[in-house]
Parts: sequence; C-alpha cells; structure tokens
Amino acid sequence: MRILFLALTLLLAALTGQLSAQAADRQQSPLVKIRLLPEKAAVKGGDALWIAAEQSIAEHWHTYWQNPGDSGTSPSIKWIMPAGFEIGEINWPTPHKLPYGPLLNYGYENQVVLLQQLQVPAEIPAGPITLSANIELLVCKEECIPEYGTYNITLNGPNASLEDNSAYIHAVQNKLPRIAEWPAIYNENDGKLILKLTPPQNILDSINLASIEFFPENWGLVHNPAKAESFIQDGALIIKQPRGERPLTEIDQTSGVLTFETNDGQPQSYSFTATQGPLKTSSPRQATSKTAGLNFFSAFIFALLGGIILNLMPCVFPVLSIKALSLVKISEKHPKLARMHGLSYTAGVVLSFLAIAITLILLQAGGAQIGWGFQLQNPWIVGILGYLLFIIGLNLIGFFEFSSRFANIGSGLTQNQDLSGSFFTGILATLVATPCTAPFMAGAIGYAFLQPPVISLLIFTALALGLALPYLILSFIPALQQIMPKPGAWMEVFKQALAFPMFGAALWLLWVLAQQTDAYGVTAALLGAILIAFGLWLLRHSPKNQKTRITLRIAAGLAFLGALALLPVCARPCSQPLGQDLTHSLISLPYSEETLQSALESDDPVLTEMTAAWCITCKVNHAVAINVDSTKNLITKHNIRYIVGDWTNEDPEITKYLESYGRNGVPLYVYYGPRDPVTKQRASAKILPQVLTPAIVKSFIEDNT
Amino acid sequence: MTRILAYSLAAIVLVFAAMPVNASVEIGQPAPEIEATDTNDNAFKLSDHKGKIVVLEWTNNECPFVKKHYDSGNMQATQKAAAEKGVEWVSIVSSAPGKQGHVDAEEANKIVSDAGATVTAKILDEDGTIGKAYDAKTTPHMFVIDAEGNVAYAGAIDSNSSPNPATIEGATNYVSAAIDALVTGQPVETSQTQPYGCGVKY
Repeated sequence: MRILFLALTLLLAALTGQLSAQAADRQQSPLVKIRLLPEKAAVKGGDALWIAAEQSIAEHWHTYWQNPGDSGTSPSIKWIMPAGFEIGEINWPTPHKLPYGPLLNYGYENQVVLLQQLQVPAEIPAGPITLSANIELLVCKEECIPEYGTYNITLNGPNASLEDNSAYIHAVQNKLPRIAEWPAIYNENDGKLILKLTPPQNILDSINLASIEFFPENWGLVHNPAKAESFIQDGALIIKQPRGERPLTEIDQTSGVLTFETNDGQPQSYSFTATQGPLKTSSPRQATSKTAGLNFFSAFIFALLGGIILNLMPCVFPVLSIKALSLVKISEKHPKLARMHGLSYTAGVVLSFLAIAITLILLQAGGAQIGWGFQLQNPWIVGILGYLLFIIGLNLIGFFEFSSRFANIGSGLTQNQDLSGSFFTGILATLVATPCTAPFMAGAIGYAFLQPPVISLLIFTALALGLALPYLILSFIPALQQIMPKPGAWMEVFKQALAFPMFGAALWLLWVLAQQTDAYGVTAALLGAILIAFGLWLLRHSPKNQKTRITLRIAAGLAFLGALALLPVCARPCSQPLGQDLTHSLISLPYSEETLQSALESDDPVLTEMTAAWCITCKVNHAVAINVDSTKNLITKHNIRYIVGDWTNEDPEITKYLESYGRNGVPLYVYYGPRDPVTKQRASAKILPQVLTPAIVKSFIEDNT
Repeated sequence: MTRILAYSLAAIVLVFAAMPVNASVEIGQPAPEIEATDTNDNAFKLSDHKGKIVVLEWTNNECPFVKKHYDSGNMQATQKAAAEKGVEWVSIVSSAPGKQGHVDAEEANKIVSDAGATVTAKILDEDGTIGKAYDAKTTPHMFVIDAEGNVAYAGAIDSNSSPNPATIEGATNYVSAAIDALVTGQPVETSQTQPYGCGVKY
C-alpha cells in the first residue's frame, strides 16, 4: 500500500506540468485568489507595460515578502512567453511584520499586488498573444498551504482596446516604497546591527520615531522578532536591532525597506540600499564633517604645527637635542650621510605614527569606543611609557650606556654609522611623544578620527612630519648646523641636565597612573622602577669570569621581568573613581547620558565639562577659568547645572558625547542656554573654546542666558 | 573597560573578526547539548555521540514542506545515504500541545515507520527547549554536527525553497553535501543558509 502511495506521489511530482491541473481543483476554494491584469491589452512592438498579479488573501491568512523572515517562502512567478518577450523583476509592495510565537515573518494580509514590467519585442505577430504565468505561493495562518496555479493574459485579443488597467496599476505604484537615495551605511557593534540613514532634513524632521519599522531584504542580518531602536542623532537616523545568525562578512551590501508615520500620521515607506562601512555608532557626524569645526586643510596645518611643537615637549626634547648635536658632528665630515640620517629618522617617525593610527582605526572599526588619548586610559601603557621615560632619563644622566644599536641616543651615532639607529630613534621619539600628543593635539586628532581612514592617515602623517621636521631640516641645511653650538665637553653636561625634564615626564605619567589605580598600584610602579635601575646597574658590570657575567645578566633579566610583572598590579581597576577631587569646590554632577538628559529637560541652563587627569589643558582651564570665584558665582546666580565627565579612564558614554560634538578627545565644554520662558525652547548648544579664561566663560554664559 | 582595552591592544592583531552573534548556534562552535528521552523511551544525550556526525532535523508531519521532502522520498534517501556513511540522524518535533504536528510517542514512531525513515532517535520537544536552544525556525530546519561536536551546517535542506516537490530535482542538497565534505575531510562549502518551510509551532 505504502509503495503504491509513494509511487503515486513520485509520479505526481515528476509531472510538473500537471501541477496546474492539481491547482485547478484546489482552486475550488483557494485561500489566495489571483488575478493577472495587464496595464493595457492592446500593444504594439517595442511597448513596455506593467503586469499586475493581484493576490486576494483569505482573512487571517498571509503570504510572503521577498525575504519571508524566520519561516515561509516567497512566492514565485514563472512566465511562459513567446520568444522575444521579457519580464522584469517583481516590485514588492511594503510588507508587514507578522509575529508568530518566537518567530517573525515579513508578508502581506488581505490583498497584495506584485508588479512586473513586460517588454514587448520590436516585431510581434498580428493577432492575439497569450502569456502564461505559473504562480506558486505559500499561504499560512498557523499552518501553511502551498497553492499553485497557471494564469493567462491575452494581449491584442478581440476586445483588447477596451481593457485598460492603467489607473489601477498607477494606484498600486503610488503605494510602493519610494526609492530613497540617502547616504546609508551599516555595521555592527555589540551584537547589534547599526544602520545609519541620512535623509534630507525635512523628511527627518517629519518622522515619528516610535513608528519606525525596518525590513531587511537579506536573511540573517537582524534577529527578526527583536524590536528596532531608532533615534535621530546629528542629522542622521540611527536604527539599531540585534543581529541575526549570518556573519556580516557574508553581507557586503544590503537593501531594505523603512516604514514610518509622519508626525501628522501619514504612513511612509522607502526602500534603500546601504553599504557596509566603518561606522562609529555614535558619531553620525562623519557624513557632515562641517560640524567638526575644522576643515581638512586647517586640520592638516594644525597637525603639522602640532608635530613641530611636540619637539619641545619634555619627553621628546631631550632625545632630539642630543640627536641633533651628534648630527652636527657627523655632518662636518659627511654631509650626505647626515641627510640620510635625517631621512631614516623621518621614516621611523612616520611609520610608527601610521602604525598607531592604523591600530586605532581598526579598533574603532571593530566597534571599540575609544578615542585619541586612549593610550593614557590604559594603565598598562601608562606604566610601560613611564618605565621607558625613566630608562631614557637614566641613560641621559650617564647611569648606563646603551650597548645595542637600538636607540643610540647619544654618541653612538658617530661611532656607529648605521642608519637603522636613526630609524629607531624615530620610533623612540614617537613612543615618547605619544603621552604628550593626547593633551595638546585634541583638535586635529579628533578631527582626523571623524574622517574616512585615508584622511585620518593623512593627518597623522602631517603630525609625524611635523615631529620629524626640525631634525630633517637640520640634516639638510648645513647653514643651520653652523648656528648650532660646537660639540665639546659641555655636551655631556647638557645631556645630563636633560635627564631631569625626562624624569619630570616620567613623574607625570606616574601621577596619571595614580589617578587610575590606588596607592598599591603606584607603589608597584615605583618598585618596578627600582628593579629596572637595579637591573641596569647589574649590567654595568662586566666581570672577566664568564660564569659571573652570565649570572649577572640573568639577575638583570629577572629584575626587568619583575618590573613588567608588577604592571598588572598597577593596572588593577581603581577602587574609587576620580572626578570628585577635580571639582570638589564646585557642585557638579558626574556625567552620564541620563544625567545630561534630565538636566536638559529642566528649564535651567546646563554646562558640561569633559576632562581627564592626564589632560593638561583641561587641568589648566579648570583651575584658571572654572574653579574661580567669578565663574562659581555665575553658576550659582544662573542656577546652572554643572556636569563633569571624567575621561581619565576609558568611558564609552563620554566618548560618544565627545563624538557627538565632533571631538575625539578632551577638553570639551558645552553650554546649553536656559529654556525661553515663553516659547519653552532651549537655544542651541554652544561649544566653548578649548582654551578658557574667566572672561570667555562669562561671555558664553551671559550672551546665551 | 580598561581591561578590555588592554586585551584588545595586547592582541594588537586585528580585532574585527569576533563579533557576538545573536543566535545561539554558530557555525564552527560547539552544538548546544541535548538531553532528552526519545520516542522509544531511550535516553538521548548529544555529547554521547561525539566521534560521529549527527544530523538534527526539525520536523512536523503536517507541514507541506516536510511533506514535500517525505512524500517525494527525498528525506528518506538523504537519511539512508547518511546512515551508510555512519551518520546519526535525530528528528525533533518542537510542536507545542494543541499545535500542528504535535504527536505522542506512539504516533511519532508510526510516522517514522510509515514513511520508511531512517532515524537514530526521534525526540518530542513539546516545550520547545531544544528548538529554542538551536533557534530552530522552520520545518524542516537542518543542522549537521561534526564528529567533534561542532556545528558544521545550519539551514535549509536544499537550495530550492519552493513547496513544490518537483523542484527537488536540480536543487543542491546542502545536508548531503555537508556530510560528504565532513566524511572526506573537506571544508563544508555552504555552511549556513536561510531555512525555509513552515514556522516551528512553538
């Protein structure tokens, strides 16, 4: 019996053509009634016309969109046409979300019309032309039923001139999603798809955010049943929805439909195509970089100037001045070699800057909420840089000599004409410069990171060139070398003197570390420094006895390892956050999105200050322009809600806030004027300059209050 | 937060690969454990089957897509070929009581024998625990688990999502392809597809 049954079904399956016959008896009570309607039935060669396939679906049942969602399948229409006729893609109307248990489908209820464009060939025979469509669709309520049917249309039939469905088709077309040619990019962060659309301002303003729905054409892009979260940020619409099961690497472009109601209740539907791109989830300013306040050219110049200024930083200056002096020595005899040294040094600086920038760009592309200055938010890096400065200081003061080629800071260069020494000095200069770039370079670097990677890299190159420039110029222009003091015994003294700014810079890093950790952390770092000094001291001795020498070497190695091993102690999370002591004399609220939001909902003016312990500009501004009587009085007088964000340690909420103002680093001061008592509107936020005086603060508060 | 940063920096090597994914089943990752009693009252524990390739098949005997593959004999042929390669086959019914496809053990066994199916075990998952652990969406929804217990394939049984049995011919059977690849030590070419069929009746 079973065999017979199987054989029968197999037979049935084999007879594809017969399926329409099967459909015929199903059609006695089909759940979906289908009509095929040509835009017009009288056609001539070369015409293009629309064909509508109208589905009238039984109540409570549904059919599917092109992406059916979690289950189901989209309908298929296969045309059988005389040679030369061509049929276009289906135009899918706006779908609906159809939840079922934990699943969600995209489809249609009641009625839906699928349009396709028919291209008539240039030459057509006279008389009626019949076109057939094998339509196969799945209709579901809880259970699903497939329905099949073959439907015909006849063109140029006897009554062709009477058949005109163009008004009907026009009405259907009017309801199709409109094609949105808005900038659209997507990426993922924290398990969520982030879609950023930038519609024209008038459309953006009209959107009722609560009504937004997103329909992806790709499967596996989002977790379909999850609710999307939509908000507007700086002229862009951001939609976040938990990701689906398919890796984003397999989806490099996506199309979708966006539906919403306008504020006055009109339903709208747009289809769009988005490309996958680097997207800092919270910096929709990428597309509208004008808000960042710097254009590319000025950012480039700033970066170049900033790089030049970096040469004067206490961490960089000693290294370079020694280097410059030794350059004079060689260029007397070998001017060409001097130029080569200048070039290798520049290469070292530029390459290491680019390496840092690329790392940061990749981390950001990977979704990490970090900005420039991140290198100082990490106690590990702070610790290692601190050790490095300490070691350089010890070297300068003459406590030990580097015996390896690496980083020949002083005299080594003349003896060892190896250019790699200069290259490594370039790397070293970059390394020691990094702690200094954060506080002083916020503007240009902040701009750099809001740009496409190529521009970011160009700006970093400018910064690197700036840093390398003084030395490079010196190596190329012998006339300048004449101005340099003649080498002599004084150089040794000078070198020793330079050790002290270096120790000062190390102390500063230790202080940063102190803000990030506690007394144990600082003690551990100091102990590490002692171990390093001890290790170096051991290495100074080079006894004849090989055994003793090796023992000394091993002991020194252990001391260095010990110093590194102490870093995790430094890196433990700080037991109590900083912030209070920054502002203890002022009543401030620690920054969080919520705090700011609730402050902005009040009628009072709001002042925000984004700061960090390692940011010298921030500390100076705070001391001279905010934590002073005149400003404090203003804050009390105007009832200003004063909110402080402490970015000493990494904090994604603050990073996001900075980015929303086109910044990538601290300081940032923003003043939000009070609500107008009549209109209840708040004036737009004002960004204060990065260098403050009490007068500047006063003018911002009084002009906007 | 700083710690996360420290780790990512320590592994300065490009970070952008490992993104969290919503679904609980990830290709190349260990398959969620299944502990259940099958329709013959035997205990079934997925991890006991390590060393063998295991196929999981979500089914609902009243679903037209399941019928597409059983009535045509395609599913039975796939099972038979798999069994010949030493593959274990587990059919799972996640229909809730009162929903389409919900059956008791006796009915379930009858469905298996009537269809001439070759299954190692058939499991009734009334409360949908297993289905939700795998994020099973459709019947059929297929998973192929390799001998190490990692998910090697998840998705549709084949490349044609039509309910029409005539489309089986000419379609690529992803499950057979995955099994063949695993058996011969080749990489599974298509490891994830969009499942099609009736929604699982949770």
